[in-house]
Amino acid sequence: MEKILLKNLDKPDAHKIENYIQYGGYKAFESALKLKPDNIIQMVKDSGLRGRGGAGFSTGLKWSFIPKDPTIAKYLCCNADEGEPGTFKDRGIIDNDPHLLIEGMAIACYAIGASNAYIYIRGEFAFGANRLDAAIKEAYAKGYLGKNIQGSGFNLNMYVHRGFGAYICGEETALLESIEGYRAQPRKKPPFPALAGLYGKPTVINNVETLSCIPAIIEKGPEWFSKIGPEKSPGPKIYCVSGHVKRPGLYELPMGTTARDLIYNHCGGMLTDKPLKAVIPGGVSAPMLTPKDLDTPLDFDSLAAKGSMLGSGAVVVMDESTCMVKTAYIVNRFFSHESCGKCTPCRDGTPWLTNVLRRIEHGEGKPGDVELLESLCTNIFGRTFCPLGDGAVMALRGALKNFREEFQYHIDHKRCMVSGR
Amino acid sequence: MVTVKINGKEITVEDNTLILDAARDAGYDIPTFCYQADLVGVGSCRMCLVEIEGQKKLQPSCVTPVLHGMSINTETQQVMSARSSMLEFLLANHAMDCPVCDKGGECELQDMVYKFGPHTGRHSEPKFKFHEKDYQLSPVIIKNSNRCVQCMKCVRVCREVVGANVLGALGRGDHQEPSSFFRHFLDCDQDGNCIEVCPVGCFMRLPYRYQARPWDLKGSDTICSYCGVGCRMVIEQRDGVVLRAKAQLGVGLNSETLCARGRFGFDFVNHPERLTTPLIRKSGRLEPATWEEAINTIVENVRSTNGAHIGGIASPRLTNEELYLFQKLIRGVLRSPNIDSTSRWEQNAVESYVAATGMNEGGVSVFDCLEADTVLVIGSHLSDENPVTDYIVRRISANRRMNLIIASPRAMKLDSSANTLLRHNPGTENAVLNSLALGVFAANADKLANNDSVKALKDSRIEDLLTLAGVKDSEINTIAQKLHASSTVSIIAGTEFLRFPEGTIGLAALKNILKSLGKKVLVMPTLDRANQRGAWEMGVHPNFGPGYSELREKGRGVDGMLLAAQNNQLDVLYVIGSDIASMYPEQELAVSALQKVKFLVVQDMFLTDTAKLAHVVLPGSSFGEKDGTFTNQEGRAQLIKKLLPTPGKAKKDIDIIRAIGEHFDRSFGPKNALLVLDEIRKEVPMYKDVNLLFNNRKNTENKLDNKASLVAAADSAALSIGEFKTKVERKTPDAPFQLVTGNHLFHSGKYSRMSRTLLGLVQGGEVEISEEDANSLGLKNGDRVKVRGRAYEATLTLRTKRGTKSGVAFIGENFDDAPIGKFFRRGDDIPRVGITKA
Repeated sequence: MEKILLKNLDKPDAHKIENYIQYGGYKAFESALKLKPDNIIQMVKDSGLRGRGGAGFSTGLKWSFIPKDPTIAKYLCCNADEGEPGTFKDRGIIDNDPHLLIEGMAIACYAIGASNAYIYIRGEFAFGANRLDAAIKEAYAKGYLGKNIQGSGFNLNMYVHRGFGAYICGEETALLESIEGYRAQPRKKPPFPALAGLYGKPTVINNVETLSCIPAIIEKGPEWFSKIGPEKSPGPKIYCVSGHVKRPGLYELPMGTTARDLIYNHCGGMLTDKPLKAVIPGGVSAPMLTPKDLDTPLDFDSLAAKGSMLGSGAVVVMDESTCMVKTAYIVNRFFSHESCGKCTPCRDGTPWLTNVLRRIEHGEGKPGDVELLESLCTNIFGRTFCPLGDGAVMALRGALKNFREEFQYHIDHKRCMVSGR
Repeated sequence: MVTVKINGKEITVEDNTLILDAARDAGYDIPTFCYQADLVGVGSCRMCLVEIEGQKKLQPSCVTPVLHGMSINTETQQVMSARSSMLEFLLANHAMDCPVCDKGGECELQDMVYKFGPHTGRHSEPKFKFHEKDYQLSPVIIKNSNRCVQCMKCVRVCREVVGANVLGALGRGDHQEPSSFFRHFLDCDQDGNCIEVCPVGCFMRLPYRYQARPWDLKGSDTICSYCGVGCRMVIEQRDGVVLRAKAQLGVGLNSETLCARGRFGFDFVNHPERLTTPLIRKSGRLEPATWEEAINTIVENVRSTNGAHIGGIASPRLTNEELYLFQKLIRGVLRSPNIDSTSRWEQNAVESYVAATGMNEGGVSVFDCLEADTVLVIGSHLSDENPVTDYIVRRISANRRMNLIIASPRAMKLDSSANTLLRHNPGTENAVLNSLALGVFAANADKLANNDSVKALKDSRIEDLLTLAGVKDSEINTIAQKLHASSTVSIIAGTEFLRFPEGTIGLAALKNILKSLGKKVLVMPTLDRANQRGAWEMGVHPNFGPGYSELREKGRGVDGMLLAAQNNQLDVLYVIGSDIASMYPEQELAVSALQKVKFLVVQDMFLTDTAKLAHVVLPGSSFGEKDGTFTNQEGRAQLIKKLLPTPGKAKKDIDIIRAIGEHFDRSFGPKNALLVLDEIRKEVPMYKDVNLLFNNRKNTENKLDNKASLVAAADSAALSIGEFKTKVERKTPDAPFQLVTGNHLFHSGKYSRMSRTLLGLVQGGEVEISEEDANSLGLKNGDRVKVRGRAYEATLTLRTKRGTKSGVAFIGENFDDAPIGKFFRRGDDIPRVGITKA
């Protein structure tokens, strides 16, 4: 497939604006400025683009919720708080092709009528944040940002906001709180950010990958875009593959590539000759797939039908040498460490799960612990304030469903079923 | 209106009603931790999850509004299991030290676990502990985070209601701990509202710690005896010692809030220095005596005295009933026109203030005031003088579109809620209001051509007014524009109008002009004594009788009485609860005059400076030892209730007044407070229909305003606004600061000095100036400084405040080492002081 999002990744110094323009950049923005904002929203709607952050909500629809009243200030926030373990797709774009993101954001701002845009980038991405800062400076100098852009009368300011290392900031309303200078904890919805977001004003929050799709849609048309991949969730998708494969890394493929195709064709197969045991298809909160599900297309709807989710598209491949109890423990420890503390079930429930998993992993499990875990999962799931707690439960439930006997073995024999230790 | 089904029961409620409230209306209570009616909903504790038919997940009812046709279930198996599972999570890391927890017995967590389970524990992991020992957050707050349920009400009340914003959360996840900035000792308002809202034993009162179990306490629903806000509270005692004061959600206009004075300042009731027996001066010394001797001595000395040579001064902290009887005794029985209730304010200033604020027009609810388009706060340091009014203004102004304008020389906490701030020179309220009136006139010249107030302003030049007030033209224009554009205007006018009565002229003028433009204008006075308004309405004032009625002859106020005493023309002075010797502006005059009174009777709780000069001292009662009513600044009459008997041989003030009265007139007074109230209702038409019942009841809807408790308009009142001119000493390089006074946040007059808890909150006298001034003098917050006036010099601690007008120095009137009465001289210009490093 022709690369759309990662097209400039192999080209030298694509992060510099001269090179980016030379490779055909900012043309889409220039032509977008000649269109009516509503037409752009319609084009994005027609393209069928769905949010790449994990929820898979129609991007065009999200934009269309923004009130049209020109007297109200509006904001665009780019969610670059790429924190889901196993995910590194946005980083690829930010580090190597920052202007693609800036161009996508500029078009989005023009479409929704925002004159201020924020890129909320996770604190650890210092390199990427510096790259973005430099790129924004270049864009101002070239007249792609600032006042009266390219003579169109459209004004846009763009800022990079560095996070301080909390996973919860990837949750869109917590991200807004963080930009506003408050403690990063999710806000209650409704009101949704489209009506009352940043500083109480209508706000669109999109993922880096989503925004990076926009220039191509403008340039090549929504119809072209909608023909890539499955009808219900078209477009290119960056899969970030890690774990026991020969060639881990970023793969831009049409949405709906199957797991088998991705692992065995694109990534060169398993790392050693040990067979595959499980695949996490979309970041650690997505329930894992087992070898029998390898032919599932990796898109929003197919994975949902299998009880899992595409999430951020972070594919973690594990072979037979992996202990699922340890995996579940590590994943769960991550969630309990990152729980923001706002709501009761997540704050007090996830550490409890972690404590029980730690015991089981360390050979101190007790009979009934699996049932305890399941019961705690029931008590947490669907009752938390935001999806963080749900994510923790889904990951654990996936492991318990497919590898229950491993947990039981740990409890009964006080040692690991895989390594024997 | 929308119709919803709750557990199958159909109910119609207003749009946007929360499911929680709708369910409560339908008769189903939903448990909550993080929900509090006055705070912005967060929906974090998840106790209130309910089932909405057609929705997959349970929804938090405290933040979800009802939609038409919704079908909600609050008692299903799933909802119940959610409740018990949330409690199980909360208990997982809970300290479980209920036997030693102050909250044990009234803990919401305990109650809910008892009600909803779980009844067996499954958590066998090691518990996370924030700390081993409780830690102190302030002189009055101690904290145990291991008991926290993370509802964050403490943080939210501190930010949204109190505005102190000193609490926040440390850490994340299960390590999240609401506390001060890295657990530092708090330098805040110390009002303990964080304690009040805490559902568990996490925030605790330090003075109450380990003192009692809640079931051992006997309480009494009463009104705070400090400032004029009139906060409803419950004081509780065990074995005759008052241990705790608390506010209750949905009760009284203050709801769950109190200030530091109200919450911690009750311990004077059990002070060991309370007077417990009458004292009579025998050969120069005050000796214990019996009541009979004391009363007989009084009667002997009074009987033959001409009424014109008798004076009576009663404290504005007495109840309406006592004050009514007192004025009946002084005027009716002893035939004296000389009666007053305050030593701080001139008698004509009071009359002008009453007239300008329109107290005779009946009560004005603070909640009504805050429904106006524009609210102007002037002449009041609300945040310190009336902290709970400050909370109400902050809470309401945050939730509606309105202009809040604060005009004050000193910066205050409420400033952050205001749209417009005006920093004028002290004592120039008149110039500010007149220039505003001129500004409004300029926009409506045609409509106001024949207005009397405008005519009176004709000679004023706006430039002169602006220079005098020290404000800019543009500032006045902005505010005048806002007043002009509003159809309803409220003015909250404080005690500066009594200190600098010239302002009442401007207040009346502006009110008149706005009214003649067809605007609805409400003026609410703010006062710093619990029953100051009641005292005036009971006629304890030389210029008017009960209900502001006209008198045949005006009497002498405190000034006049002291002057008469100075000239040996005052034979008998009967003082109840007022400490003139230390509160009168110009202390030396007060003391020398009191020494010349031939027969001085002082009735008080303590042997005050005034009582030390008395010939007979009568031990009186505190607010916790009597029944009666207080009328707050709004004109709201509220009941106070007896909790304790008076100590020793002390008596209720009402009984003492009646005992004296009956010696002269057998049919003098009704037998108890209730009967006196009946007489008041008959004699003072303002009080005829006042309803006293409301505020004792908890109302679940949190509707705090009850118009039925407001006093009515007076039938006829003969009040006029006097002529005043505020004069300030000339500025010299040695004395650049204009001295202003008022109440310190933690004190109320000298009365609060008998509370040891309040004394612990602030060490000694303080002088407050702006940070900029301090910088230019090379001084910083906390320095010891010499404050030198023409008449007196004191060494005090410096406090700096950002945003206060340059050239203003504030000294609270509450400190023994900062006797404000020695800086001021009655009749002299307002003093200026110099501040140098001590």
